[in-house]
Amino acid sequence: MRRAPVVIGGTIAGLAAVLSFHTSTPSLSLPSAVASRPTTRTPVATGSSGPQSGSGSTTSTTGSSSGAGSATTSGGASSTSTTAPSSGKQTVTGSLVNYGYGALSVSVTETGSKITNITIATLDDGGNFRSQSIDQQAIPLLEQQALQAQTANIQGISGATYTSQGFASSLSSALQQLKV
Amino acid sequence: MTSTALTRPSVQERIEAHAPVRLVSALDRVMGTVITFDVFAPCDLDRRAIHVAISRARADLRRSDAIFSLWKPDSPASRLRRGEIDEADGPPELAEVLSICRVARDLTRCWFDALAMPGGVDLTGLVKGWAAKRAAALLADSGIANVMINAGGDIATVGNPAPGQPWQIGIQHPERRDALAAVVAAEGAVATSGAYERGRHLYDPRARRYSARFASSSVTGPDLALADALATAVAVAGSEGMSLIEEIDGYEALSIGYDGSLLTTTGLSWRLAPFDIQATPCDS
Repeated sequence: MRRAPVVIGGTIAGLAAVLSFHTSTPSLSLPSAVASRPTTRTPVATGSSGPQSGSGSTTSTTGSSSGAGSATTSGGASSTSTTAPSSGKQTVTGSLVNYGYGALSVSVTETGSKITNITIATLDDGGNFRSQSIDQQAIPLLEQQALQAQTANIQGISGATYTSQGFASSLSSALQQLKV
Repeated sequence: MTSTALTRPSVQERIEAHAPVRLVSALDRVMGTVITFDVFAPCDLDRRAIHVAISRARADLRRSDAIFSLWKPDSPASRLRRGEIDEADGPPELAEVLSICRVARDLTRCWFDALAMPGGVDLTGLVKGWAAKRAAALLADSGIANVMINAGGDIATVGNPAPGQPWQIGIQHPERRDALAAVVAAEGAVATSGAYERGRHLYDPRARRYSARFASSSVTGPDLALADALATAVAVAGSEGMSLIEEIDGYEALSIGYDGSLLTTTGLSWRLAPFDIQATPCDS
């Protein structure tokens, strides 16, 4: 459980990877245009507020920082399957990627030019209890972040981040199949 | 099976509609974090040439890491920190970063002071931003007009995502992992500091202790190295830091308090991020 915040943090950057493979013009955009506003205090819409607990997560990559230079994203995107090609809706599953705690692949459903769903298609974490608890927290977050990013019509995310390489790669390879 | 072709606007049609078109995305791990490279259309280079240019930028980031990593005991920055060398004895990049640190210290009235950190000189507060900005400039020199480099949450850009449009950058919500707190429109750079990822690492050089008055502070402006230092200063200084940014030409700030309040400087273009996006539960 101790490592959980690290991986959850990773999903944020995983989201950045989703953005990186933004397929085309989002069909959803915010009603309010970007506007210059005076210095104001605005409550951030949040379910909970209060002092930050400063969890033990970190921006460092898992394990060694050397990484052996094998950090390239895409590589040859391998086998891909497609379902339900009708009415502009399709689901693409990316290739299986190691993500540090196991292997997974990600499915992305796109309707028109908009991502409407992201799910984990395959997950093999070796049955490790710690991995499973991490997965359970991280994966729904990843899904939600990806969808929010799609809706927010943004190019990137600024914040203190950490990326789980496997997440990024698998999303990348899935989303790349959807790219024009 | 391969994916089925969909009817969708072509790249050319999207360019003509002034919609952001991402041509190439790449990802690398360096400097203890993950760095993404996103090249936007129009770009005269083909994908292969873009990847070659990105490789050059990556090599430059590794060189920066070799100079500045405090994890490497023999790096020039580590030796400087231990007092074994002077800045003049190191590579020119070391002196350059130190000079930016001094500018940042003066601009922030010592709310950011890399030269007075616990254990000695600590340049990590702006090195990542400096290195990402340098890599972005290299890509621009290679003929890539519109590119975004995201170095673990610090963003350096060149050009625009689409003609005449500023970059739209989400600001990570400091308390909700699954949410953005706001979206800022930026030309240039966006840096964010906060203790929500790495715990109490933000150092108050005036009080000489680790503390931050804001949960998260983001600074936009032309130079990512400076924005990086300014964001740290604002997070540490609190509302006084916001006033400092008001006085600095070309830089704007957005901060989020521990109580969830959001504070911006007057010139910032921003909007709240949408919430309550429906996500399908995962069935793994």
